Amino acid sequence: MYDFIIIGGGVTGALIARTLSRYQVKVCLLEKESDIGNHATLANSAIIHAGFDPEPGTLKARLGVRGNAMYETLHKELHVPLLRTGAYVVARHEDDVAILNALYERALKNGVEGAKLLSGEQARKLEPALHRNSVKVLDLPSTKVTYPWEVALSALENAVSNGVEYRLEAEVVGIVRTDKVYAVTLANGHALKSKAIINAAGAFADKVAGMIETHVPYKITPRRGEYLVLDKSVRGFVERVLYPVPTEKGKGVLVVPQVHGNILLGPTSEFQDSPSAVTNHQADLSMIRQAASTLAEAIPFDKVIRTFAGVRATSSAKDFYIRQSLEHRGFYHVAGIDSPGLTAAPAIAEYVVETLIKQDYDLESNPDFNPYGMQYPHFHEASLAKKRQMIAENPAFGNIVCKCERVTEAEVLMHIHRPCGGHSVKAIKKRARAGSGLCQGGYCEGTVVKLLARELKQPLETIDYYRKDTPILMAETKVKR
Amino acid sequence: MKTDLLVIGGGAAGIAAALEASAQGLEVLLLERDTQLGGILNQCIHNGFGLHVFKEELTGPEYAERFIHMFHDKDIAYKLNTTVLDIRKEDAGFVVSASSLQEGWLELECRAIMLASGCYERTRGQIQLPGDRPKGVMPAGSAQRYLNMDGYLVGKDVFILGSGDIGLIMARRMKLEGANVHGVAEIMPHSNGLTRNIVQCLHDYDIPLFLSHTVTDIRGKDRLEGVTIQQVDENWKPISGTDKHFSVDTLLLSVGLVPDTMVFESLDIAMHPVTKGAVVDQHYQTSIPGIFACGNALHVHDLVDYVTEESRRAGRAAARYVKGLSVRQKRLALNSGANIHYTLPQYIDTADFNGVISCMFRVTKKAEQGEFVIRQGDRIIQRKKARFLAPAEMEQLDLDQTMLSDHETPLTLDFEVIRP
Repeated sequence: MYDFIIIGGGVTGALIARTLSRYQVKVCLLEKESDIGNHATLANSAIIHAGFDPEPGTLKARLGVRGNAMYETLHKELHVPLLRTGAYVVARHEDDVAILNALYERALKNGVEGAKLLSGEQARKLEPALHRNSVKVLDLPSTKVTYPWEVALSALENAVSNGVEYRLEAEVVGIVRTDKVYAVTLANGHALKSKAIINAAGAFADKVAGMIETHVPYKITPRRGEYLVLDKSVRGFVERVLYPVPTEKGKGVLVVPQVHGNILLGPTSEFQDSPSAVTNHQADLSMIRQAASTLAEAIPFDKVIRTFAGVRATSSAKDFYIRQSLEHRGFYHVAGIDSPGLTAAPAIAEYVVETLIKQDYDLESNPDFNPYGMQYPHFHEASLAKKRQMIAENPAFGNIVCKCERVTEAEVLMHIHRPCGGHSVKAIKKRARAGSGLCQGGYCEGTVVKLLARELKQPLETIDYYRKDTPILMAETKVKR
Repeated sequence: MKTDLLVIGGGAAGIAAALEASAQGLEVLLLERDTQLGGILNQCIHNGFGLHVFKEELTGPEYAERFIHMFHDKDIAYKLNTTVLDIRKEDAGFVVSASSLQEGWLELECRAIMLASGCYERTRGQIQLPGDRPKGVMPAGSAQRYLNMDGYLVGKDVFILGSGDIGLIMARRMKLEGANVHGVAEIMPHSNGLTRNIVQCLHDYDIPLFLSHTVTDIRGKDRLEGVTIQQVDENWKPISGTDKHFSVDTLLLSVGLVPDTMVFESLDIAMHPVTKGAVVDQHYQTSIPGIFACGNALHVHDLVDYVTEESRRAGRAAARYVKGLSVRQKRLALNSGANIHYTLPQYIDTADFNGVISCMFRVTKKAEQGEFVIRQGDRIIQRKKARFLAPAEMEQLDLDQTMLSDHETPLTLDFEVIRP
């Protein structure tokens, strides 16, 4: 019997798990995929927004601004990467200026630190790639960029080290409540019991809610966003996140420097039926190029190395829907977490545990709680002396596996065997960055497959690309050496 | 220990350059990141290599083996499993940072560098192919390595996008291994591969080639389930109603190769927008004196024989540099004019120009016949008639030093199509 089951291993679920691990409670996080954070957490703009656009008084505004500040603590405790870029919201014609002025007022109301207005000219001096048509700019110095997937991973890993359990490939198919106890049935037939449930199932939250609620108070309408990724050789093309003035459709197509040096262009915003389809469309990719070109001059489109798409869990509630079920005590909805969901995630976790749950449950502090996560070394970023020391201690640091991102064998092994280790090619890519560079795994994929097979003691043809049953090698040839 | 010439890459280019520089008396050290010498030749188990250099038809590994033997005979120093990560310019030369499992971190001093690191394959992301993103879409060369080096097939029902030589070779190779190869689509109205590969790899095995077609949709949640191809108009826009669907588990991409110049990242070396390699003079010297490049790391070749010939010249040139016989003073531009995709070299070092330069170049479009013309200002200094030209086939033209009218006026190479 668990005290809490968290459904969904995205950044929200993982941070809630970590916050609960501060208390003496038995927690299990369930993730239907073979790795955590495979949906919106993996495919988003990676921005810790300043909090300039949500309507004052909403959860989005309040938790957004609070969450932004909390990332500094996460950076210290969990070592999640943080790039303090700042951002410009750009008015590109006179019609935009009134909206920009209103956004400035809103930023002040929301308590955004350091917000100020600049002329286009002033801004271009600091950000030379900014489009010459930029008339006026809202400067938001508190905007940051992180690696969202690593936030989820390190939060979960820290939670696990503090006693939380987690299960992968654990899709919830049924929830019933009898005698104040929830019974959760998984797709594999297993049943788990818990006193309370936290529904953090992202784009699937309404589906999960529908398993127990007679009236689901919100509907998720999946909203797809497509992106282009520029190679890290463009590092420095822009220093800040560039936003256009937002429209009713959302924040628009942005230019976003990433923590690893790449630049992201996107997202688009298209409603779709599927909560999971991450298809790229020619028309959307062309739209991104056009839209991004109105924000920055001479974008090096020849450096595009990848396209991707993510799905936002946009809900009919407009604001985040975070509250206890009206029908079932102990069932908490954490739903509709679209932008600024990543920004707000640490504050959402705090709000769910410290405000909502504590109203109903007495939580006793966990005296052994250790807020610090493991720090995994990046060989490439080490000084020469440190590199030599690392190799002396472990020669596998000398073996470069991915030469685009300079990832060593020692790092790959570490990310296979860490507590929340990766067991597929994509899982290693997400943890160690092997295959994220210019050649997109052309050089290193085969090596990673072999290292996984060796370390997991499995045949090569069972090593998956990402989900279960997606092996890269399909069959041995008719003549085996 | 200070080496005269440090060669990055132990494939066809690196070995040929190292052999030639060593023959000229240089102390050479070659670094190879793989577990053996030979580079991509090791995975090219088909034949067709060596017709120019050895006047006989060899497989890739056989061609590599001959050079590896010569290399070992000369006792040239080399290190395997060693990846070069950075190059720093120092007063009297360069320091190359490299790393290996066996020797750890290395800081190697040298007087000159030869970049012979080959090329990488363009990926799905670089050509921004729309559709779902399941497993099963991969560059043809990666599939070739899995098949020929590791002994594994990546799929059983295959479609190939792009008619580059690797795609064509892999169409046949997958077929021979029992896979069903459904077809090859090429967005251009002509093939990008050698004619002999179209005949020997597609026609001989009844594999259809769809010219002026491209993949416009990819379907599959986890694993690839199918692709759609469409005919394109002259602006490469898909024509509606021309859709053809193929149920395949694998889409191999043969959509171009790009010189791998990643180790140049921290240096300010002038790069060429078309070749994607360094800009060089006839000595294969980049914009930084002492740094040379050859083979597919400089520009992508169609035949390994040409790589060998070019790399030998580059090795000789590097030797002249190290010996102080070649001190660059002035570079004269050789510009790509009408119908010319690129030329190589792009500059001529007039201070050290004796005899003949072998200029390599590609045309921008197919032509029955025409004439190559090199002009210096308005004056024609060299011309050569040619027939059956295609962008996929590299052309060569010798430029004699005595032809130059002066050392000031840039040269331009044009291709003038002759209408039959």
